[in-house]
Amino acid sequence: MSMWPHQDTIATQHMDVIASSTTERPADARSLSISAKRTASPVRFLAAPGQIVSLIVLVLPLLVALYMSFTNWTPTRGSLLNASFVGFDNYAELLIYDTRFLEAVVRTFLIGAVCLSLEFVLGLGLAVIFLREFRGKAVLFSAFLTPMMILPVVVGYTFWMLFQSNGPINQMITLFAGQSFAPEWFRSAPFAVATVIVTEVWHWTPLFFLILLSGLNAVPQNPVRAAVILGASPREVFWRVILPMLKPVIVVAFVIRSMEIIKLFDEVFMLTRGGPGSSTETISLYIYKLAFNDFQLAYGAAAAFLVLIGTLFLINSMLLPIREQLLKERR
Amino acid sequence: MSTPKLELVGLKKEFADGSVAAVDGIDLAVEEGQTLALLGPSGCGKSTTLNMIVGLEQPSSGDIRIDGRSVVAVPPGRRNVGLVFQDYAVFTSMSVRENLAFGLRVRGQRKAEIDRAVGEVAELLGLSTMLNGNARDLGGSELQRVAIGRTLVTRPAILLLDEPLSNLEAGTRLATRRELRRLQKEAGLTIIYVTHDQVEALSLADWIAVMSAGKIRQVAPASLICQQPDNIFVASFMGTPPMNLLRGALTRADGGYVFRKDAFVVGLLPGTDIGEAADLPVTIGIRPEEVRLCASGEAGLPARVLLAEPRGSETVVTLETGGQVIKAVIASDHRPTEGRDVMLEIDAASLVLFSGETNRRLPMIAELRA
Repeated sequence: MSMWPHQDTIATQHMDVIASSTTERPADARSLSISAKRTASPVRFLAAPGQIVSLIVLVLPLLVALYMSFTNWTPTRGSLLNASFVGFDNYAELLIYDTRFLEAVVRTFLIGAVCLSLEFVLGLGLAVIFLREFRGKAVLFSAFLTPMMILPVVVGYTFWMLFQSNGPINQMITLFAGQSFAPEWFRSAPFAVATVIVTEVWHWTPLFFLILLSGLNAVPQNPVRAAVILGASPREVFWRVILPMLKPVIVVAFVIRSMEIIKLFDEVFMLTRGGPGSSTETISLYIYKLAFNDFQLAYGAAAAFLVLIGTLFLINSMLLPIREQLLKERR
Repeated sequence: MSTPKLELVGLKKEFADGSVAAVDGIDLAVEEGQTLALLGPSGCGKSTTLNMIVGLEQPSSGDIRIDGRSVVAVPPGRRNVGLVFQDYAVFTSMSVRENLAFGLRVRGQRKAEIDRAVGEVAELLGLSTMLNGNARDLGGSELQRVAIGRTLVTRPAILLLDEPLSNLEAGTRLATRRELRRLQKEAGLTIIYVTHDQVEALSLADWIAVMSAGKIRQVAPASLICQQPDNIFVASFMGTPPMNLLRGALTRADGGYVFRKDAFVVGLLPGTDIGEAADLPVTIGIRPEEVRLCASGEAGLPARVLLAEPRGSETVVTLETGGQVIKAVIASDHRPTEGRDVMLEIDAASLVLFSGETNRRLPMIAELRA
């Protein structure tokens, strides 16, 4: 409650009275809305333009897209109002018959799992190294952060060149292992997936590194010292004391990256365009093709809504372990 | 005497960057079952000393012995020394039980053994009912008990507590003080408190070691240290308010000595032998508690009340007498009004003399009193 800006004292007193007269939690919520009604009227008018804009830009398109997802509209049919309402047909089609969509979902999920694991391990390792002092630390720090600042399109294009059959990577392989070990990266499914993973890990490990390093630096030192004095080995200190304290930071890093992975598009588009076949096709890439290659905009909208629902469930369940901790009032 | 539980011998810590020694050669012995407070202003080196005892920092030179055995080369986890941090440093990701069990778990003890030890300590500290609760949800004094219990489970030879009362509310302080005393007796613990707060030190420990600028200035029983400070630093540090210190000279007067500073004159106990210090400059120490205001009509030193600061049952009175300003602690019901002229009397037996040259206490007065 203390976080609420007290615009006038009468409302504040009201809040207190309400808070003390009813049970704790609901009172909090109710008193907030009451105080907003009483205090904020001039402020509300000031906020109105912003709210109108966000209504137009955010809510309306969302509602239109939602409606569209229940029709069989394509741009060739003219106005959206001409399209016939098909109920849940698009959704049923996607969930039951569209194996390409389901494969894209599973594929995105698997690529994400591999990428995030690698990014986490590498990022954590780098962060732990950066806790110590060593020569050239400042320069390396900047260098390690650079990849994530590069545009995904540029990263994708760069790696597309690197992975060409006679590109630098294959030349290195040829140099050290021989010609026969240099694959045609974009011609076989497993190798194409590998290029996506390598590119993605190179691009986004810095984000994990940055988040985990700042998390590690914020870990209070006394519990660590206490564990050392109690006889814990460095390994035990790390796994049992430091890592649990880092948990919220780790979860947040995973949440941010998971949302990015679900949207994975640019790099794949530049590298493989989803091929060979559909072996590297991610959710976003598939929806893109539905909309802009096949002009199945209504069907694509339904797919997008399914993804949104799935993402909501996924992200919220990822936040579950730290939810209580994040929402708890600070003492 | 048996070997002390803890012994610091010429312990020194110099940090690489500066020429100043944080801890400058201290010697200290703590007997088994003793409680000692390492007391000093912040920056005096007490925390560094504490860190060296537990092993978080390595001494530059000197030795630390526990039960007569040097532990300088022993890593922190094997010294059998427990430390309770000022902020408790409880593992908030664990339950109370896991916190208590941590020390034994990392030592690889069997589960049954751990459960028994945890149960015992939880009983001793009144934590039995909250064992399964999350440490994150506990309040100040409960956190402290968990922190104490977490180290007690490992049966440390010495328990160190860093500012144990400073993070507690006034109400829980008293209870915690009593609790620590009880715990110390019941478990027969050897405890070292580290604090900058003399009230905390005097209320918790039987012995006080006063530190400043990396050196131990005096080690004495808590009951004695205010009356008989070894030197001017301790005299000016201990007591609230601390001893009145006046620099002046001694002169012989019929069969005894009087201390003079300008118009301020006070007689020492008759028969006091000062020896060769007689004609040298001295500093006299007058405890505020030993300055008495005379009843009306009684003869004494004339003085004027400059300030009266009540603090409950006592009042600290600032007086001007013979051109000097001294403080007195008077029962509040006899409190004089500011600006009034009064007569005061100083208990000659309580006076302490310090050498003007070495700033150390001149011993003869104490001997005479004994």
